[in-house]
Amino acid sequence: MKPALVVKDARELALDGESLTSLMRDVLMKGRPFRFRARGWSMSPFIKDGDTVTVRPLRPSEPASGDVVAFLFPATGKAAVHRVVKVEGGRFVVKGDNVAEGDGEVGRESILGIVSGVERDGRRVKLGRERGLGGALVAGLSRTGVLAGGLKAARGILKPRRKRNSEKPEHEGAAAAESPGPPGTVEKGRVRHGSEKGR
Amino acid sequence: MDNAVELDGRYVPSEDVVVREIEGELIIVPLVSGIGDMEDELFTLNETGRAVWKRLDGRKTLRDVVAELDAEFDAPAGVLEEDVVGLVGELVKRKMAVRKA
Repeated sequence: MKPALVVKDARELALDGESLTSLMRDVLMKGRPFRFRARGWSMSPFIKDGDTVTVRPLRPSEPASGDVVAFLFPATGKAAVHRVVKVEGGRFVVKGDNVAEGDGEVGRESILGIVSGVERDGRRVKLGRERGLGGALVAGLSRTGVLAGGLKAARGILKPRRKRNSEKPEHEGAAAAESPGPPGTVEKGRVRHGSEKGR
Repeated sequence: MDNAVELDGRYVPSEDVVVREIEGELIIVPLVSGIGDMEDELFTLNETGRAVWKRLDGRKTLRDVVAELDAEFDAPAGVLEEDVVGLVGELVKRKMAVRKA
């Protein structure tokens, strides 16, 4: 078999969360940003399922309250992208904006990097962290559950009403209730074998 | 920059890549653009390619690599040498491998 360098579309690779996390760590440790497609709804509306997220290495003074970070759950080693809602004694309280309960505290060593950009449909999305005051406000809203509660209320208003004795929504096309997915933000794909482009 | 690959040269993976073996595949993430971009092209190596890559340790010359692979793979004389030089040339061109000074 002739040695060959094979071009792969990232969406076709069967990268589970652990694999993607490993690649993210390797790239960040080389001081480079890492760009990938997020999965899950725990950071909605700031980060939605399918958004493209860029994580960059931390700077010495980071992260601060309001920053959105990629971090590892100490107990499981699994990665997630959530917001820092409080900094206390060198520990960071992290929480998904769209999740009622927080993830707990992590040390700086568990934080892989900071989200520097989110893209959706080819456009940049704001994370509520563009100015210091805004970041603190969003962090407070997220920490106290107001953000998640407000989103839940909004979903309740938007949820289609159902007719009595019928399973069909009264009006189709209305936004369906979105339940927050697991905090992981990893996309799985498929490995495609046999295709060798670029040689 | 002269990207010509020489059999007496010693080559190593460049600093502008991240490489990880995942489920039997060697995944190469280029960093040449300054970012590890999973939304851009990624690369893998086939079995023979992996055998070459693993031998790019900066100590062996490409001539040594060919000799080792000759014992491992059944290939016509001269063909292996051409294939190894070809692959390493491609890696150097894409800045995935560099010649060790």
